[in-house]
Amino acid sequence: MAVFPKAAETMADALGCDEEEVKLDSSLINDLGAESIDFLDIVFRLERAFKVKIPRGKLIEDARGELSEAEFEKGGVVSDAGFQRLKTFLNEVPADRFKSPLKVADIPRLFTVETFCKIVIRQQKAAGTAAPTAAQTAGTPTA
Amino acid sequence: MDEHFRAFTFVNRITSVKIGHQVRGSYQIPPDLAEFPLSLVGEAVGQLAAWSAIAAMNFEKRPVAGIAAKIELLNSIRPGDELELAADLESVDAEAVSYGGVASVRGKPVLRLEHCVGPMVPLEEFDDPAALRERFAFLCNSGTNENAFQGVPSVMPQRIAGENGQWIRANIQVPQSAPFFGDHFPRRPVFPGTLLMHANLQLAAALASELAGKDELPRLPIQSSMPIAKTKWAIRSVHDVKLRTFIPPGELLESEARLVERDSNAPVISLETRKGKRVIGTARVSLVSETTT
Repeated sequence: MAVFPKAAETMADALGCDEEEVKLDSSLINDLGAESIDFLDIVFRLERAFKVKIPRGKLIEDARGELSEAEFEKGGVVSDAGFQRLKTFLNEVPADRFKSPLKVADIPRLFTVETFCKIVIRQQKAAGTAAPTAAQTAGTPTA
Repeated sequence: MDEHFRAFTFVNRITSVKIGHQVRGSYQIPPDLAEFPLSLVGEAVGQLAAWSAIAAMNFEKRPVAGIAAKIELLNSIRPGDELELAADLESVDAEAVSYGGVASVRGKPVLRLEHCVGPMVPLEEFDDPAALRERFAFLCNSGTNENAFQGVPSVMPQRIAGENGQWIRANIQVPQSAPFFGDHFPRRPVFPGTLLMHANLQLAAALASELAGKDELPRLPIQSSMPIAKTKWAIRSVHDVKLRTFIPPGELLESEARLVERDSNAPVISLETRKGKRVIGTARVSLVSETTT
């Protein structure tokens, strides 16, 4: 994934860890020890590094997708429909990490380094600043 | 003494404001203080930015200290100086404010903040929203010349272990009571992050002083009458400052300063503060040489 090297360096700087520890499937909280202040730090650093805007709360909002808040969770617990939606949206997260019932407050525990790489790519595309694919660069037809 | 807006307040006047974007102001350092640390100059810029953020959130949220990517310590200041304060908000919302700023004296920058982030918290848990709204209007309309700040109790790191020129570990005892707690904050006393920074910078300076004298001899030719240059190290900037939790009164903290980059031209000292086993604060300090003979 093209953004991974710079994203990994950025996250390592934010978390004060070695870049080698930052792997695509590393859970920010469970593997890298991130706290809420680190999530803020990572988001702002990624914004500067990739020159994109990442609206606060966007990840949860995008994860919910078409579901309303009432359809997505009840009493702080993710609904069955919300759970399936999360597994689809966060398809980079290893399936065995999804445990039901899932509290809304525990959703950030699922986020991996790749989750944030995908955010950056989505925001780059939204801003029209995404780097061309290798095929596009080479001028070869794409499917 | 009513400590609110007196004991730890470093904005006398707001001279211009574009709420949520840009704010300019000033602070007159009382002339009779023994000292006014540069960390409190940083506090002044942060407080100015906070006013703009608080107003942008309609006095429902306020920022607290969190992250500073870079703090440049450019020039010294003296009691009696008037700080010209400027803060530019990069963004503000219900979750966080990000900003940069600079403090100057007679047009000359003395401290610069880059890429600071303050998490936003419910204002009413920390202070009276109506009082803050009134104070904001007062600062924007007329401001004050009152020199209310009377200094802060010295919070010195107490050395407990170390290895000369390599690392120093020290205890930092947060006072159980102090006037600044009445202003920071009236409804929830919190040890200011900038006072922790001041204590930690003293620890870093102590380690830096141990580096002096660890210099290579000058290359040949050496004349016997030539004095040997000794490098004195000064703190030039502080990077990657992060404060992870509120520090209540009376806490016993442990800080460690450690030389982590030994480049003879630009050493770096890491700072780590713990409360028990938990790391609650980190920073990196870049040194610059002031070679003397």
